[in-house]
Amino acid sequence: MATPNTSLRTARPSRWRLFVRSLAGTGALLLRDPYALFGTVVYALFVLIALFAEQLAPFDPLEILFTPEGNLAADLRPSREHPLGTTSLARDVYSQLLYGTRSALLVGVTAAFCVVAIGTVVGLVAGYFGGLVDTVLMRLADIAFGIPFLPFVIVLAAFLEPSVWNVVLAMALILWRDTGRVIRSQVLTVRERSYVEAARVTGSSTPRIIFLHIAPNILPLSFLYGSIAVGWAILTEASISFLGFGDSNVISWGYMLQDAFVSQALSRGSYYWFVPPGIAIVLVVTAGFFISRGYEELLFPRLREED
Amino acid sequence: MKKFVFALVAMMLAAAVWAEGDQIRSFELLSRTQAEDPTEFQAAQLVAQEWRKLGLDVEHKAIPWEQLAQVVWFDRDPPDWDMTMWRMVGRPERSDPDELIYNLFHSSTADAGYNFIAYSNPEYDAVVEAQRVETDPDARQALIIQAQEILDRDQPNAFLVHPQQAYAYRSDIWDPATVVEQSGIGIKNFWTFVDAAPLTDQRDMILNSGVVVQAINPLYISGATDSWITELIWDRLLRISPEGLAEPWAAESYNWVDDTTIDVTLRSGMTWHDGEPVTVEDVVFSFQAPQGDESPMYKPFVSGIADIAALDENTVRFTLSQPSAAFLTATLAKINLVPLHIWGPILDDLSTKDENAESYQEEIPIGSGPFKYVNWLRSQEVVLEANTEHFSAPEIDRWILRIIPNAEASLGMLRSGELNFLSGYLGDPQVLVQTSEGQPIDVVASTEVGFRYVAFNHRAAPFDDPAFRRALSLALNRNFFVQAAYKGFAVPSNSPVSTALGFWTAPGITDLETGIELAKGILAEAGYTLDGRGRLHYPDGVTEQHGN
Amino acid sequence: MTGISRFGRRFLQMVFVLWAVATILFFLFRLAPGSPLAAYIEPTFTQEQQESILRRFGLDRPVHVQYGIYLLNLLKGDLGDSFHLSGSVASIVRDVFPYTIALTLVSLIIAYIIGVLAGAFLAWRRGSVFEGITIPLVLTTRAAPEFWLGMILLAFFSFKLGWFPAGGALSPGAEFPNNFARFFSFDFLRHLFLPGLTLAIYLHGLPLLLMLSNMLEIMQDDFVTMAEMKGLSTWTILVRHAARNALLPVVTAFALGVGYSIGGNVVVETVFSWPGLGRVLVRAVASSDYPLAQGAFFVIAVVMIFMNFIADLLYSSLDPRVSSGDAKH
Repeated sequence: MATPNTSLRTARPSRWRLFVRSLAGTGALLLRDPYALFGTVVYALFVLIALFAEQLAPFDPLEILFTPEGNLAADLRPSREHPLGTTSLARDVYSQLLYGTRSALLVGVTAAFCVVAIGTVVGLVAGYFGGLVDTVLMRLADIAFGIPFLPFVIVLAAFLEPSVWNVVLAMALILWRDTGRVIRSQVLTVRERSYVEAARVTGSSTPRIIFLHIAPNILPLSFLYGSIAVGWAILTEASISFLGFGDSNVISWGYMLQDAFVSQALSRGSYYWFVPPGIAIVLVVTAGFFISRGYEELLFPRLREED
Repeated sequence: MKKFVFALVAMMLAAAVWAEGDQIRSFELLSRTQAEDPTEFQAAQLVAQEWRKLGLDVEHKAIPWEQLAQVVWFDRDPPDWDMTMWRMVGRPERSDPDELIYNLFHSSTADAGYNFIAYSNPEYDAVVEAQRVETDPDARQALIIQAQEILDRDQPNAFLVHPQQAYAYRSDIWDPATVVEQSGIGIKNFWTFVDAAPLTDQRDMILNSGVVVQAINPLYISGATDSWITELIWDRLLRISPEGLAEPWAAESYNWVDDTTIDVTLRSGMTWHDGEPVTVEDVVFSFQAPQGDESPMYKPFVSGIADIAALDENTVRFTLSQPSAAFLTATLAKINLVPLHIWGPILDDLSTKDENAESYQEEIPIGSGPFKYVNWLRSQEVVLEANTEHFSAPEIDRWILRIIPNAEASLGMLRSGELNFLSGYLGDPQVLVQTSEGQPIDVVASTEVGFRYVAFNHRAAPFDDPAFRRALSLALNRNFFVQAAYKGFAVPSNSPVSTALGFWTAPGITDLETGIELAKGILAEAGYTLDGRGRLHYPDGVTEQHGN
Repeated sequence: MTGISRFGRRFLQMVFVLWAVATILFFLFRLAPGSPLAAYIEPTFTQEQQESILRRFGLDRPVHVQYGIYLLNLLKGDLGDSFHLSGSVASIVRDVFPYTIALTLVSLIIAYIIGVLAGAFLAWRRGSVFEGITIPLVLTTRAAPEFWLGMILLAFFSFKLGWFPAGGALSPGAEFPNNFARFFSFDFLRHLFLPGLTLAIYLHGLPLLLMLSNMLEIMQDDFVTMAEMKGLSTWTILVRHAARNALLPVVTAFALGVGYSIGGNVVVETVFSWPGLGRVLVRAVASSDYPLAQGAFFVIAVVMIFMNFIADLLYSSLDPRVSSGDAKH
């Protein structure tokens, strides 16, 4: 009994060192790949804006503004005071754009985390245990694959109180399927590797094997799916808001686009109102793709896209 | 330091004890979502902002219409809402004030009917009951004005505006002289559809609606858009004229024999769209059909008829159970004439089933009206064609209603000529006006019979207190709302009777003095107090009613 | 494992998923808030009348009975009656379904033709500056919200230039002898252009990247090197050998794409007032019209599940590397 323990003690740090090194390698790679670098810079910028939105925004994004003469400050064209003009409800577009960063990142990151966390655990458990557990989990994944995603989010968002978290919930309920399947097949190959075999033979507990020996090998793959899921979540939130199932008391880019569309920004020619939120979405989602591309180079040197 | 904190806590506790009454709870002001009605949404935002100035905690919450209807209209036992944006839309039948002034505020309709706010005032009940059976117009006018004055005093709702609904048409296609403006309704009405004369080869009138057509059924009151179609396919004995009066249509004439008896003479030579003649038996059938259980929505409109019989080949006699001032408008101008040879067998068949006539859809609807049914592409369009045999045959060839779900697209289509009559526009009227500048597009905005308002739930404090309601109502500067939310396309309101119904309007009723300071004064006088943090409290002795 | 039994197993799996999704749908829609009676709000209405409506739609029965009836009806192809629109759900769905299918197929076909050609071309020009510029651009199209792209195209090509209709699928009152004439008319194609383009721009990224990466992979295979040694031109090798093999996964992706797009078209249908299934679904969901929402959702799910099934079969029959049809290898 004593021998396995010592062997594990020596194995454990080396596993983690490997993982840490791979993370550092990831960082280095992200910086080397110009696209990934671009993605990282965009993310960093948006995080900064989200953190300091209150300081950066000239107005409260939901405040109804008035002109000095006491009239409603609605539909103003861009000016020094309102760099992107005001909405038909007399709110400052520029401030809304800055605040929108918050809900975008909040929704994006939380949803991505949920999706990846559930998917990874399901993939690990199904792949490692096989048998009945595997069958049940994979049939659940089949069912999840049989549910059209956007319609499902629409139904959920309509049935629950309007909130940005509906998107997170829907993604957690459905989109774990992709990550789960991929992680599972990755686990199937990893678990046959000699060091995992060794750990099993020497009697390491199952959770130990899963989380200490197998998980570090598949985490980069999880990150890859995570960085794509961030974009998915932001796009989905935008679509749901656009269809009118969003929360009108929380400013998001999707809400801004919906507001612009129903307030007839197209007919007014208010490009300064409906173009910027779209560009912001494109930027942050593309940034996620670029970072994931960096990961891809790391994981699959012969770039192979799986859908 | 510790001492200081202690003193602070003690002070706060003391303040709570010494306050005159409970702090008034937080309110949610409900409305539809922005996508459904941007104007109402904006008005709600502004209302909430104004009322916060009185020391109230008001949060605006927008929910989809169906959920709003559930909370406010259907769940009355117990109702779980405080205040909501609400609307009554204009309809030809509402040109008679009875429907709104009686149903909305009479205490008998509080449990299941129109009086969802549960306003209850015996004095008011007596007045509106009296106007209902008063057949002398001048005496009735006095009663209607008296009712409005009671409402002005009690402020059951905060009436905001009577909107001016904007419609537009291509003046290069339709002769402006033949586009009829119906009072309280606007240019989108039956008369325009029948009278409009084309100036060019384009003889199809192409209109739009944002709402899908639910059904085309003469025995079913479905969506608002559906009624535009039923009005055209099916004739009625009387029609509401552009001036708002019920006038003979399929009836050649009518004659009051006494207070409760009326003889109606049917126009001769009319035919159904399938070629069969229209007979008095059809007329009798049309009024008897809703009396059974197969057409529940029309049933209330024929409930006052005690008996109906054909006197000869052209005459039908209606006997009423009591005198009714609104009988011409609410019954004779409301009930569609349907062919006995088609609906007779259908109703016989339905009487043995769970379904009623409302769920029945004719393959090809047959009426006798000025337009015939041609085609219905679901969620795209309904096509009708002119009935050239009709006694009032339309000038146009086809009447095409397009289903266009958003304002942006409908405006684009009007500009490009894909639409030539903008009949459903919920967008910003100013955008419509700007778009039309320099184009052959006429925009006509008419004050509606309907109105927009904030409804209070009278079942719980503080809304059971007229002074409180009055203060809230008078805090709202109506002219500001007209400008800010309705972009100038509305007139101030303080009554359920629109200024569009000139004869029934109480003079000076909308001359409201408003202002935050005035409202604060009313509250103070009624005993409401502000605490140190600026929050409003009940008068002494009044407590918050919990657990409704 | 033989082909027949693999087919059988996949088929059973599909049936199982269909049942599971139908069941989830049933219970999901029982949670819906709001009243199905809301559409009937305007006229004065008694308690008794409200109850008669509930009875008409079977809403007064216990849930398990409703569930049983629901499953039986599904088997018969009966999706129930809409609460608010006259007619059966099946007939409403049948009316709008062709429009959604037409939009989906046309945009997918355009997207895949462009994607495949561009992907092959980029593989040929691999490593060039051109590729360096194109790839980020392609990723950008995938990152742009479809409805936003649609809004911009609509504002420019329709509102500003007036080249295309502002919405809808057919001109007002257009008459056609049959559906074939309708869906192949110039009028229909003109209306289809902008929504189709919007979707195609969004969808072309996937086949492009897939084609590119497959080509790059295959071009490193032995037989390509052999061909190069034989002195065949790069272009010939690309077209004759690499492209053909690289296409197989793209075909599978196309089948999957049909399923996914049907459900994803909702927002584009809204921007362009397209009379499709997605808009019916959104409207029905918002108005608590459960039977209609449930039916529309179910039809979308059926298409998706069926296309997953087809893609699975295609994948295993086209790709020799997948042997037993299971991922365990």
